[in-house]
Amino acid sequence: MSLLDSLAAGLALVGNFEAFLMLFVGLVVGVVAGAIPGLSATMAVALTLPFTFSMTPINAILLLLGVYKGGIFGGSIPAILIKTPGTPASSATILDGHPMAERGEAGRALGMALYASCTADAVSNLALILFAGWLASFALNFGPPEFFALILFSLTIIAGVSGESLMRGALSALAGLLLATVGLDLVYGTNRFTFGDPNMMGGLNFIAVLIGLFAIPEIISMAWNPVAHLGRTRALGKSRCSWADYVGSFKSIIRGSMIGVFLGSIPGIGAAPSAFLSYSEARRTSKNKDNFGKGEIEGVAASEAGNNGVAGATLIPLLALGVPGDVITAIIIGAFMVHGLQPGPMMFILNVDIIYGLFIGLIVSSVFLLVVGSVAIRGFRFVADVPKRILMPAVLVLCIYGVFAVNNNIFDVGVMFVMGWVGYVMMRNRIPAAPFLIAFILGPLLEDNFRQSMLMSGSDPIILFRGPITWFFWFLTFVTVFAITRSTLRKKVPLS
Amino acid sequence: MSEKSLHLRLGIFTCLVALFLIFVAIPNFVFSPSNVGNIILSPLFWPYVLAGLTGIVGLGLLANGVTSSNDALYEDEESVHPEGSAPWMRLAALACIMVLVMFGLPRLGMVWTAMLAFAACAFLFRTRHPIAAVVCAVIVPLLLYAFFAHVAGVAIPQGNFVRLP
Repeated sequence: MSLLDSLAAGLALVGNFEAFLMLFVGLVVGVVAGAIPGLSATMAVALTLPFTFSMTPINAILLLLGVYKGGIFGGSIPAILIKTPGTPASSATILDGHPMAERGEAGRALGMALYASCTADAVSNLALILFAGWLASFALNFGPPEFFALILFSLTIIAGVSGESLMRGALSALAGLLLATVGLDLVYGTNRFTFGDPNMMGGLNFIAVLIGLFAIPEIISMAWNPVAHLGRTRALGKSRCSWADYVGSFKSIIRGSMIGVFLGSIPGIGAAPSAFLSYSEARRTSKNKDNFGKGEIEGVAASEAGNNGVAGATLIPLLALGVPGDVITAIIIGAFMVHGLQPGPMMFILNVDIIYGLFIGLIVSSVFLLVVGSVAIRGFRFVADVPKRILMPAVLVLCIYGVFAVNNNIFDVGVMFVMGWVGYVMMRNRIPAAPFLIAFILGPLLEDNFRQSMLMSGSDPIILFRGPITWFFWFLTFVTVFAITRSTLRKKVPLS
Repeated sequence: MSEKSLHLRLGIFTCLVALFLIFVAIPNFVFSPSNVGNIILSPLFWPYVLAGLTGIVGLGLLANGVTSSNDALYEDEESVHPEGSAPWMRLAALACIMVLVMFGLPRLGMVWTAMLAFAACAFLFRTRHPIAAVVCAVIVPLLLYAFFAHVAGVAIPQGNFVRLP
């Protein structure tokens, strides 16, 4: 199929009112959820997932991508106005955004956040369209040993970069891998940790685990301290972001977008490190470097560009290799599977219409984000005024309905509650939940490819190092482990 | 809590979990056919590898806890501990609500159980808008029922008492 044929097929799939409506609704839901502190983009995507079951795959994925992109931008609104990042990735935006709000320039900071986000989003989408197909055609040469090496590499990075402690990240990932062994054995069909319960033979439901880990702990936190969320909202002020502001920060926006694309395409890095790297690069090279941290608009532009530059790029490993770039794309992988699609190189052959449909939808999403974001900035006060002590019970009810709807099984609701308490205990002990979930998704793939490799080679482990592709991923894995170990040791032994 | 004490606690717990997995859980709850000649292909292999790695991470956490000089207390949202026993009571109450939801779903039906759970949670969280909470407790489950039952075609449990169209 030629490029034009593929484009036409994609356009035929998304060229209707319903598809664009879903994208628009997704952006609105995402921006609103991102703008409510404590209701993160991750939780929003997870809670939206059950609503997509009755939709066509393309509409469902567009809706979720809209929530994802909207949520990432929405997180910057409370970061600027109430110094509370709606998503971890918006933490860097606080550094200059909130001081601007304190000066009465919240409108200008939010405007810049929106324009930088939309620009970075467009750059990121372009990178996705250019590189995903190329990477997928390369990945068609992968066999089980190559996939094993790739997934191992992904796991290494995810455990290493998720949180303040490598050990706690690794512990979380191991817990996810262990939980993924529940169910029937992949090769022999014998029981593993099923305790004789038929409900557990198919393994624990992914969506129940996901919602349990990310939504329920927030509700439990609310029971622990119902007044922790109370804060002060800033007025928008009269100043607006001007064209001169945008042009003045353009270099930092493009640099931040590139950083976001680069880091986003590596599984596991996520948006927060990208935002901080973009911010520090902007500060290093800016002529206003002394103003950074005191309310410099270029700082807001850089952090938001770094943050949003990741959004499209994280889909590169997802679509091309079937490996999630971060925790939200891990949820989106689940959505693909729920709709009978398997992301990876074969999707570029079997479902090329969906791939190009998504590309078209993503390009349109940057424009929609500009519209939705502009309205959201003005309407934030209403969003912030939603009483969280009514919102959280609503989230609980939504979780119950959503998790039940996956398999029409009350057992899954119980799994969600149990995982919620597990997630809460992890949260209280500062164990990050993201490595748990990603390992839970990648665990069966890792084991499956390992055992297939062993079957192919008659249990000779040399097959795991059989060619340049595996060498490449093993090399990356060792470099990553080395870098993580070195940075951990450096943190422990200060030079001065 | 400081990083040192956290890692010590986590290390001890993780080592105990690893030992439990290796000596109790895997031998008793993972089944392997007797004719599997090669351990690498056995269903037991992967769980044992993961249990071993868990033990190593546990030892790493312990070593980190013992050698760490970082006694500084965490001072962020996760480490905030509201005074008194009320937070623990609320956690226990929320756990009870969840257990009751599990009992209520097949008997009362999802809509009525969700309404009760919503209202109970809102009052547990000491809402300042009790009337709005009650109105939302009725409307939200009904709207979700309408969507899932009539749009998504999900067979929402109806319970033994009042059935919805």
